[in-house]
Amino acid sequence: MIILRYVKLPSENFEEFFNSLKQWGEINAPVKQGNIYSFKKVDSLKEVSLDYTRTMLPPKKFFVKPRDELLKLKEGKWEESNGTKPVVLFGVHSCDIHGLQILDKVYLDEPVDIYYKKRRENSIIIGISCMPDEYCFCKSLGTDFAMTGFDLFLHELPDGYLVRVGSVKGHEIVWANEGVFEPISEEDLKYFREFEEKRANSFKRSLNKEGLADMLDLAFESPVWKKYEKICLGCGNCNMVCPTCRCYEVCDLWVNAYEGVRVRRYDSCFMESHGLVAGGHNFRPTRLDRFRHRYYCKSYFDPSAGFNCVGCGRCDEFCPAKIEHVKVLDEVREALK
Amino acid sequence: MNPYQTYDAKILEIRELTPREKLFTLRFVDSEANKEFKYKPGQFVIVDIRGFGEFPISLCSTPTREGYIQLCVRRVGRMTKYMHTLKEGDVIGIRGPYGNGFPMEKMEGSELILVSGGLGMAPLRSVLWYAIDSGKYEHIYLLYGTKSYEDILFRDEIIHLLKHGDAIGCTVKLAYEVESPSCIYLERGFSPKVCKGVVTDLFRGMEFDVENTYALICGPPVMYKYVIKELLDRKLSPGRIYMTLERRMRCGIGKCGHCIVGTSTSIKYICKDGPVFTYWEALSTRGLI
Ligand SMILES: Cc1cc2nc3c(=O)[nH]c(=O)nc-3n(C[C@H](O)[C@H](O)[C@H](O)COP(=O)(O)OP(=O)(O)OC[C@H]3O[C@@H](n4cnc5c(N)ncnc54)[C@H](O)[C@@H]3O)c2cc1C
Ligand code: SF4
Ligand code: SF4
Ligand code: FES
Repeated sequence: MIILRYVKLPSENFEEFFNSLKQWGEINAPVKQGNIYSFKKVDSLKEVSLDYTRTMLPPKKFFVKPRDELLKLKEGKWEESNGTKPVVLFGVHSCDIHGLQILDKVYLDEPVDIYYKKRRENSIIIGISCMPDEYCFCKSLGTDFAMTGFDLFLHELPDGYLVRVGSVKGHEIVWANEGVFEPISEEDLKYFREFEEKRANSFKRSLNKEGLADMLDLAFESPVWKKYEKICLGCGNCNMVCPTCRCYEVCDLWVNAYEGVRVRRYDSCFMESHGLVAGGHNFRPTRLDRFRHRYYCKSYFDPSAGFNCVGCGRCDEFCPAKIEHVKVLDEVREALK
Repeated sequence: MNPYQTYDAKILEIRELTPREKLFTLRFVDSEANKEFKYKPGQFVIVDIRGFGEFPISLCSTPTREGYIQLCVRRVGRMTKYMHTLKEGDVIGIRGPYGNGFPMEKMEGSELILVSGGLGMAPLRSVLWYAIDSGKYEHIYLLYGTKSYEDILFRDEIIHLLKHGDAIGCTVKLAYEVESPSCIYLERGFSPKVCKGVVTDLFRGMEFDVENTYALICGPPVMYKYVIKELLDRKLSPGRIYMTLERRMRCGIGKCGHCIVGTSTSIKYICKDGPVFTYWEALSTRGLI
């Protein structure tokens, strides 16, 4: 029996390993759909695009669903909606693993969101190494490498994967598949280090986080916010795709004359209604307020969870107005000088 | 335990306080739930009209009077309108209590100045009766600004305290904006405690021991600035000024993100870090007031 933190998965065993994961839950992996990638249920390795950079919706969609039924109304009482099934998220990148850990801070903090907790407990996270594209800036935020938050993490080698085991469940998966793994060699470690070095040097974008929180607080009246207020369309795409955005709206719906459901749905702080209260008072009445609010929220540094942004680049890639997160923050900093 | 589950509460009594506001007296149907429900002045609950939605409402009763809770609901929109159609005996859902509430223990032995405008009277009524019932506070001042006589919330209690409050360590002062025979009658009867004007006018001639006083403010957003000025002019420390704030709220427990305020250095959730904040916290959190 192997009990190791690192094992090797040779290429020829990869498919067998992949198929064996089915016994742990429904496998969801990045699949190419037109121009975008999306985490979807897959049956075979063929369907999976392991060379993806980012999916449009991050894996948060498995834990906080875009439309999430919380409670069912039966004879005037709420019953808990259930239906958590085990899932295996295959091929998650380290920025998204960090994103989930930030969501954990919110949803697993007291009082615990039991829906989120159940889904988290019923999931297996298999991470995979990646190469950055022009949007990625995770390295500058320290989210380019995951030390925790996964069960297994696969690092690409010329002839397979170096696998890091990150949890008890991860060990169990390795045990159950003893035959497909091998011990790692010095050479594998050399390749691993080379890959990491090459990757570290491939980042084109970086966020200057030096004194970021204080700098932004000082820049409350910055003209840069006013410039972007005019460019931003207020569509809220950046919120939808962000792995750490989690605002939700709640709404009761009637299924038929006797049964209703309480549903939550992603909300966005770019919507005018987000800060609106009865009587018509709005705490963030202008797009300027809302644009700035998002940057403040994302740049908040929580001493126990880090920045609320993991540098995944989704908000840049999917912004119809081509607004770039790092550029906005750099300009704000520049204007302060 | 599902934090989104709500508990059956029966409406024992409904009183019309003003044409817009009703006072609902409630008791949990389950006796265990009644025992377990412990709250502090300044906390709030989420009211659940099952199948229609939820909304936050301050507890306006005091935990010193057990066996029931009270909510003062203003009819402003979809849900509150529906709430106003309910009858005694109807059952609604309640979850909570939520929020930090006022630090009642810390303030023991001090003078309390409660400053309230309009609906702000609801959470402060909880403080008022808690302070009177417990007898642990040196003196209580209630400065209450109302639009008109008809808008005075808990009118019978206010008039009772105008008459007899001083004997139990509570001075009530009332400012009204719209003149009417009833107001003039009150003004004649209780001068100088009642006057025409706004709530800040009630500070005129007021001196207090800044070492031994706390101010608690609740009212519409515009009120805070002016009231705080009066308090600061009298050298009350920003750490001794408490206020309760309102935001759109969906969950009440720090999940839905709607009540987040502040900047990169000061993100706060009104629902769980508040709704009671000191003025000092407001100074260091942009957008709080
Ligand atoms: C901590 C707290 C304490 C409150 N205490 C009281 C009280 O004691 N008495 C009272 O009458 N009102 C109180 N309010 C305000 C009360 O929650 C709103 O008036 C109520 O939600 C309006 O709902 P509506 O559907 O009637 O209005 P609509 O305008 O139709 O609102 C639609 C939705 O927006 C949301 N919303 C609108 N206004 C508010 C608001 N001010 N706060 C939060 N969500 C809002 C609600 O979820 C509501 O369902 C309090 C609010 C907060 C945050
Ligand atoms: S995606 Fe771009 S245009 Fe849309 S709200 Fe976000 S910043 Fe504005
Ligand atoms: S703010 Fe943008 S880059 Fe940062 S985590 Fe969210 S989507 Fe990714
Ligand atoms: S009300 Fe949902 S986070 Fe505060």
